[in-house]
Amino acid sequence: MNPSVPPSAAEYGGDEVSAIVLDPGFSTTRAGFAGEDTPKSLIPTYYGKYSHEGQEKLIFGDDIFVTPRPGLSIHNPMGRDGIVEDWDMAEKVWEYSFTSRLTGAKPGNPFQNGLNDVPEGEMPTEMEGVESDEKPLADSPLLMTECGWNPTKAREKTIEIAMEKWGTPAFYLARNGVLAAFASGKASALVIDIGASSISVTPVHDGMILKRGVQHSPLGGDYISSQIRALFKSNNPQPITITPHYLISSKTAVDAGQPPQVNYKTYPPEKAPDASYRTLLEERTLSEFKECVVQVWPGPSKLLSPGPNGVSNEEVARSSPGRPFEFPDGYNQIFGVDRYRVVESLFDVKAAIPDPDSPFPAPTPAQTVPELIKNALNGVDVDIRPHLLANVVITGASSLLHGFTDRLNQELMQTYPGPRVRISAAGNTAERRFGSWIGGSILASLGTFHQMWISKKEYEEHGPNIVEKRCK
Amino acid sequence: MPPFKDEHVLIIAPGSQVTLAQLGLPESFTPARFRFPTRMFPAEKKGEYEPYRIRERRQEVTSSTNGPDASKPDVEMKDAEPAPPPAEPTPATDSAPEKPENTEQDAKTESAEGQEANGEAKPDTAPVTQEIFYEEDITSDEGAIHPIVNGRILDWPCFFALLTHVHNTLSPPFHTPIMLISEPVWSARDRETITQFVFEKFKTPAFCMMDSALAVCYGYGTSTATVIDVGKDKVDVTAVTDFLVNEHGRGIALDGCGGDYMTQRLSELLGPKGFTWEMCEQLKRSNITEMLPPGTPLPGTAATARQGANVNNAEGKPTGEPEDGSKGDAAARGTNGTAGENGEDEDEGVLDVAAIVSGNTSEFLANREKEKSTKKGPADQGAKPLRLPNSKKEKATFQFEEYVRLQPENDAATNGPNRFIRQTRDIEVGVERFLTATLKQKMGDRLSSGILEDIATQIHHTILAVPEAKRSELWDSLIVVGNGSKIKGFTQSLVSTITQKFVLSPSGTIFTSELPSNFSTPLPTGGTNTPAPSGQPGPMHHPGGHGVNPLLVAATHSNTPAAMPSMDPLTHSHHRSSQTPTTVKTVKPPEYFPEWKEQSSSNAPGASGANGPAGAGGPGGPGSHTGGHGMEEAVFLGAQVASKVVFVLDQGISKGFMSRVEYNENGPSAIHEYSM
Repeated sequence: MNPSVPPSAAEYGGDEVSAIVLDPGFSTTRAGFAGEDTPKSLIPTYYGKYSHEGQEKLIFGDDIFVTPRPGLSIHNPMGRDGIVEDWDMAEKVWEYSFTSRLTGAKPGNPFQNGLNDVPEGEMPTEMEGVESDEKPLADSPLLMTECGWNPTKAREKTIEIAMEKWGTPAFYLARNGVLAAFASGKASALVIDIGASSISVTPVHDGMILKRGVQHSPLGGDYISSQIRALFKSNNPQPITITPHYLISSKTAVDAGQPPQVNYKTYPPEKAPDASYRTLLEERTLSEFKECVVQVWPGPSKLLSPGPNGVSNEEVARSSPGRPFEFPDGYNQIFGVDRYRVVESLFDVKAAIPDPDSPFPAPTPAQTVPELIKNALNGVDVDIRPHLLANVVITGASSLLHGFTDRLNQELMQTYPGPRVRISAAGNTAERRFGSWIGGSILASLGTFHQMWISKKEYEEHGPNIVEKRCK
Repeated sequence: MPPFKDEHVLIIAPGSQVTLAQLGLPESFTPARFRFPTRMFPAEKKGEYEPYRIRERRQEVTSSTNGPDASKPDVEMKDAEPAPPPAEPTPATDSAPEKPENTEQDAKTESAEGQEANGEAKPDTAPVTQEIFYEEDITSDEGAIHPIVNGRILDWPCFFALLTHVHNTLSPPFHTPIMLISEPVWSARDRETITQFVFEKFKTPAFCMMDSALAVCYGYGTSTATVIDVGKDKVDVTAVTDFLVNEHGRGIALDGCGGDYMTQRLSELLGPKGFTWEMCEQLKRSNITEMLPPGTPLPGTAATARQGANVNNAEGKPTGEPEDGSKGDAAARGTNGTAGENGEDEDEGVLDVAAIVSGNTSEFLANREKEKSTKKGPADQGAKPLRLPNSKKEKATFQFEEYVRLQPENDAATNGPNRFIRQTRDIEVGVERFLTATLKQKMGDRLSSGILEDIATQIHHTILAVPEAKRSELWDSLIVVGNGSKIKGFTQSLVSTITQKFVLSPSGTIFTSELPSNFSTPLPTGGTNTPAPSGQPGPMHHPGGHGVNPLLVAATHSNTPAAMPSMDPLTHSHHRSSQTPTTVKTVKPPEYFPEWKEQSSSNAPGASGANGPAGAGGPGGPGSHTGGHGMEEAVFLGAQVASKVVFVLDQGISKGFMSRVEYNENGPSAIHEYSM
C-alpha cells in the first residue's frame, strides 16, 4: 500500500452486536458481553443510600466500599433466597451493572457523534417514530439468569423490565444451574452452587432442569460468616471485634493475642454511616479471613467423630498448626482447630457454633450439603442418578473454601459407594466464581441459540407470560 | 500490507487536561512531542469547534491617521503560539487554524483596514463604521468546552473535534497506524464509538486501543503492578497481573482525589489571604510545595504540630494546630502576605520575561528561587538562614507567572488586537504549602479522610479483589503516575499512609508470607506438635524467627496436615497464600530512557499541563515541544514501547491491533478482541 494513497471508503456495513449476559446474584451482579470469558462488569448487588443536602442519593458499584458517606446505609434488593424483593432497586442495580462498564450512558444523537456529515445549512430533522430518549439496551439482546426456584411472577416481572424499561430487542431467561453445567461442558450434571446467601443443588438433564430435584438451603457464604462471628464472640482470651478500616486512623503492631493498640476515627453521630455499612465492611474482612484462614476438614469422617486410629478428628485437627490472621485494628491471632469448626456445619449440623444473636437460625440436618444432594437425587428418575453422580459440577465463590471439594468428594463416596462419583470443579478462580455467567456467555454466543430468543415482537404479542412458555 | 515504519506511528493519549500526541517513534523514546490542551471552543457554527478561543471584537473605525504599521504588534507574545493573533474563525472539524488562507485573509483584513485608514478623505464627522474582527484570545479559557471530565467523555462531538485537530496538526501519512490510550472509565460502547470514528474519519490501516494502566506497565517494563494514576480530579487504581488488567475491583475515576484536590486545599488555606485559584495552582506546581512524610513537624511551628493528615478528625474540621498557627502567623507578618507583594516588581517581571525568553528556561527558573532568597532574605526578614532544605523553611517564595494585558500606549493600540505580556512576581507562602494533602473542609457528601487515605483505601480494595496468590506481588509493585502525583513527596507519603493503615504487623504473619507459600518447612518431629529444639536448623533459621516463640514459628511454617490425595485442583495448583500486605514497595522506573529523567521545575502557566491559559503545545510550533515531563507520564513511554512492539515488530501476528480489513468485516465491536 502506498502511504500517500487514501484507502477506499469504508466498507463496514453490518452490525455485529453481541448480546449482554446479566447474572444477578445476592452478593454480586455480573454482566458482560456474550462470547467473553469473564464478565467485564462485577458489582456488588448491595447499594448505598444516604441523603445529602436534603436529597436522597444512591450509590452503586465498588464505590460503596471505598469512601463512606454521611448516614450511609446499605441495602440489597435481593432476598436471601435469591428472589428479588425490591424490584425498583433491583432494576437500578442491574442497570448500573451494564451501563457502567458496557453500554455506557444513553447514546447520543447520531447527528452529533461526529460520524454523520450534516449537509451545509440543513438542520437534522426530527425523525418520526424514533424514540427520543433511547433506552439503555436498545440495541443489545439480553440473556439473564435466575435461580431454579424463581416464581412465575418474578420471571414475568424480569422480562417486563428488560423489554419495557431497557428496551432490549431480544430476551432470554436461563437457569443458572443449567448455565453452570454448560460452563463445564456438560448438558447433564448435578450442579452444586455454593453462593453467598444460599447453596443449591440442581439436577440438569439434557440442558433442562429437573424441577422436582432442585434443592436449596441458606447455608451459604454469609452463613459461614455468621459462624465466624460466633467464633469470634466466644474467642479466648478475649472476644474479637472486627473494626473495619474506615474506623481506624492508625494502628500499632502488637503481638499475637494482645489487645489492639489503635487510634479510632470518630464520626459525629449525625454523619456516621449506618450500622449496615459497618456490617458490609466487616464482611470484607471476613471474606479475607475465609480466603486466608478457614479450611474445610478434609474427612473422610466428620470433624466431631472419632478418627480411624482412635484419636478424635478434633484432636488431630487441634494438633495441626494454625494459621495467623491480623484484623484491621492490628489484633492478630493464630487460629487452630477453630478454622475447621466454622464450616463444618455445612456437612454436620452438630458442629454448628451456637449464637443466639445470629440472624441465621441453627441449621437443620436437611440443610447440609450431603442431605441436599441426597434429596435432589431422590427427586429425579432413578435411571439418571448414576449419570448425574458421574457429573457433579461445583460452582459458586464460596466453594473456593480451602478443601471444600475434597470433603465433598469424601462425603459423596461414602453416601454412594456403588456408582462412580466424579466431581468437576474449575481450577481457575474466575471460572468457579462466574460459572453461571460463563455458561450464559457460551449459550448466547452459539449460533443455534438465535432461535431461542424472545423477540420484542413476540413479547408485545403474547405479553410477559411468554417467558413461562419459552424459557423452560 | 506493507510493514509499518517507526516514523509513521501516531500515538494519542487523551486526558482530562492534556492530550499527548506524537507522530513517529524516535530512536530513544521521548516524552510526548505535542501537548494539546483537552478543550475546544465552540465555533461560530453550532456543532463545530475551534482549538482556540476566538473572540469577536467590534471595532469602531473612525478617522484615524494611523497607518497599518501602528496596528502591527509591537510586543511579540512571549508565548510560542504560532498562529497569528487575529484569525478568522476556521471551520473547526477539518482545518487547523494555521491554514495559510487564514493568514491571507488576515492580511487582507488588515490591509483593508489600512487602506481605509490611509485613504480616508472623510471629515471628522464621518459616520462611524463598525467592523468585526476575530482574534484569538490566548489568555482565557472562558467558554471552553472540556470534552473529557474525570476521564469520561461528556461531549462527543467536541472530543472528536479534538481528535481531528490533533490528527490534522500532526498530519500523518495515510499508512499510519494509530495507537490510542484509553481511559479506564470508558465503557465498552465508548471504545466502539471511538474505533468507528478513527477508522471512518482517519482511514487508518491499523488501530490499537490500549488501556492506560497497561501502558504504564509497558513503560515501566513490568508485567505485574498496581498502577495509581493521579489525574486532574480523579484517581484510577488498577491491578495489572501478567499484563492483564483486572477489571474487577478496579478503582475507576475515584472522584475528588486528583491534583485539583490539592489546589482546592491550598485555595481553602490561602484564599482568605488573597490567593487566587491560579496562584494556588502555580504554587502547587512550584518546587516549594511538598508533602512531608506523616509525623514530620512543620517548620516554624511547635515541634508537636504534625502534618494534618493524621491529626484531623473525620468531621471535616481542620483542627490541626498548624493551620491556626500559620494563620495567626500570617496575620502577624502582615506585610509579608501577598498584598504587600502585589505589583511589587512589575519592572522586574518584564525583565524576567526577557531572560526567560532568551535564556535557558529551566535553568533560569531553577536558579530563580536561590536568587530570590538571597535578594529578598535580608530585605524582608533580616538574617534568614539560607540554604536550608525547603522542608525546614517556614516560608518560601515561588514565582507566580501571569498574563497581564498591556496597557494601550495610544489610541491606535486599542484598535489592534490585545497584547499580553507574561509577567512574573514572587509570592511568599508559609507552611500551608506542606498541607496540600490534608483534609479539605468542603468534601461534598463524602466522609473523606484526605486524599492519601482515600487512595490507600482504594488500593487496598483493588488488590483485595485479585486472587490471593498475586496480592503480595501487587503490594510490592506500586506505580504512582499522573501529573497530580508530581508534588514532591506524594509517593512517599502515600506509601507511608498505606504502611500505617494496612501493612500487617510482623508479629503474627511474617513467617508464612516471607517464604513462598508452597515451600513448607517440614516439621522436624514428623507431624506431632513438639516444638523444634532451638539448635536445629529449620524454622529457627528463618530470618524472622529470631527471638520468637519457636512454637509460633513451627505453627506458621507448615501447611495442611492432611496428606491425602486432593480432589481440588486449586489445592494442587498453588498453596494458600497468607494475608497481605506485609510490605509495600514502589517500582523503580527504568533507567535507559534518559529523556524521561528530566524534571520540570517550572510552574509557568504554559509549562506544565494545559491549565495555563496559553495552552501549551500550540499546533505545530517548535515551541510546543515542552520538555521536563518525567515518569508521571510513563503512560506515553509505555504507549511508544507498545507501539513499537505491536505495529513494528509484531506486525499484527499476535493480533495486537485491529486492521482495516478486520474492521470492515466485523465492525467496531471487534475492537474488544484486540484492545490491550
